[in-house]
Amino acid sequence: MASGGVVENDVAHRTRKIVFGVLTYAVLLFVFVVSAFPILWVAMSAFKDNAAILTSPFALPNQLNFDAFVEVFTQYSFQIFTVNSLFVAGFATIISLVIYAMGAYVIAKYNFPGKNLLYILFTLTLLVPPHTKAQPIFSLILDLGIYDTKLALVFVYISFGMAISMFILRSTFTSIPKEFSEAAAIEGAGFFRIFWTIHMPLARTGMATAGTMMFLAHWNEFFYALLLTTSPAHRTLPLALAFFTEAFSYDYTQMFAALTVVVIPGILIYVFAQEQIQTSFASSGVKG
Amino acid sequence: MKLDRISQKSLPWVYLFILPSVLVFLIFYLVPIVTVFATSLTHWDGYNAPVFEGLQNYGRLFTRDSFLISLRNLLWWSVIAATLHVGFGVLIAFLFYRRSTGWRAVRAAFMIPNVISAAALAMIYRFLFNNDFGLLNGFIRIFAPNFSVNWLFQSPYAFWAVTLTWLFYAVIVTLIVHAELMSIPTELHEAAHIDGASEFQIAARIDLPLCRYSIGTSVILAITSRIAMYEAVALTTRGGPGDDTMNIPIILVNSITDLNYGFANAAAVVMFLLGILTLLLVNWLFKMNKRGF
Repeated sequence: MASGGVVENDVAHRTRKIVFGVLTYAVLLFVFVVSAFPILWVAMSAFKDNAAILTSPFALPNQLNFDAFVEVFTQYSFQIFTVNSLFVAGFATIISLVIYAMGAYVIAKYNFPGKNLLYILFTLTLLVPPHTKAQPIFSLILDLGIYDTKLALVFVYISFGMAISMFILRSTFTSIPKEFSEAAAIEGAGFFRIFWTIHMPLARTGMATAGTMMFLAHWNEFFYALLLTTSPAHRTLPLALAFFTEAFSYDYTQMFAALTVVVIPGILIYVFAQEQIQTSFASSGVKG
Repeated sequence: MKLDRISQKSLPWVYLFILPSVLVFLIFYLVPIVTVFATSLTHWDGYNAPVFEGLQNYGRLFTRDSFLISLRNLLWWSVIAATLHVGFGVLIAFLFYRRSTGWRAVRAAFMIPNVISAAALAMIYRFLFNNDFGLLNGFIRIFAPNFSVNWLFQSPYAFWAVTLTWLFYAVIVTLIVHAELMSIPTELHEAAHIDGASEFQIAARIDLPLCRYSIGTSVILAITSRIAMYEAVALTTRGGPGDDTMNIPIILVNSITDLNYGFANAAAVVMFLLGILTLLLVNWLFKMNKRGF
């Protein structure tokens, strides 16, 4: 009786385990499909002609025809938009890194009046939805006479990374033992030398993480690019994509090619900096 | 504050180093926020000086149909975000925690919608839901060849179509909750095992309550993302059909374009206050000021 019960329990236990395993994989498969399949479909469709896109949405393309990509670049100036995006995201990221590395460094390593208040204010900026400041920033850019320039975007994007950079870089600098700077001070190194030759090389990982997060956010930004530019000469990729799909909605292949071109760099950045991006998402919950 | 010797000597340097950050904060956060609050009480077209008119912009907001519909949409989207969206993210975090084979690949794929541009994701969904060449209708037509619905442009489907553009993309929830799960001391699980608790009991009775803090954070992030949701609407339905998918950022941008700055900033203040309200409410509901361990 007793042993029968154990066997029965064992069977029930094993069945439950199998059912649970199957369910687990069903859910994980669903996550994979819902996350990756739309993008695979877009990339796949960029190699098909209009007829194939309409009649067989699920079929693999018959051939690897890169014509649509070539046309998107050569005929519709996507090379200009790509360069614009690189310029804006690149410069905004570099300038932000300099500004926030300096700020985070003194907050982490020195005592001065108002230090804690400043750190709290800087990180609280995370809670300000970017759209709420749209009018004042729009007016500021007009007043500065830089409306419809790439400079306007660089200028505005610098402010985006404040909270996350302060968060990442302060903890980076805090983790560098103070014996290093004490030893250097005894040897006669001044403030700037201690910062530049001792702390900056040791803060490389944190700088890379903060830089990646900011670059990704700048690269993907749409709202302020739309608000602060009008001419195609200063368009960034996400904005160009929106205009392109409005104007050429009849040429499906090229729309899919344009979309693929805009999406791929973000994915590449993620592939190369997977760990950093995951960790910073997890620790601060900021969307790139 | 007492300063040590090294700090005292380098104080000018310290101020020089903190100055750029302070300037960014002043120019891009403090001054704009003060401007938004102050001018939300004025009639202002951007050319003439703002004229104080009290709470009239707020009166106009709360009597405008599109704004009331926006609030209703936001309420529904927030409820869906706080329950289904966060629930889905938490479920995946628990599945990842069990280290099933292939979980890393799934995590990598799960990240994709969050590392690409929100504008591009909105476009992808516009294509997916397209009636002519969209993936969804292509799939449905395998079974019903004459099926035809314009998901994003027909009532009542548009609201749910916009909801689907973000509903399952809960990777941030998953990452935050997973990080907190990993920090739960294993002794707790061992003790529960010895006491005869099943895997499911351990997950539901021990792990889930201990993840309260990260789940609360996730709810806050999920709802504030809905308050600020712009691309997912602007690049798909633009608030339509009618006002079916209208939301506050769309109203705000339209008012700026109409040179109705005071009104736009009143909408911005409402967004701001709703965010703070969410923060306080969720903090209180999840008792987030007290850590579980």
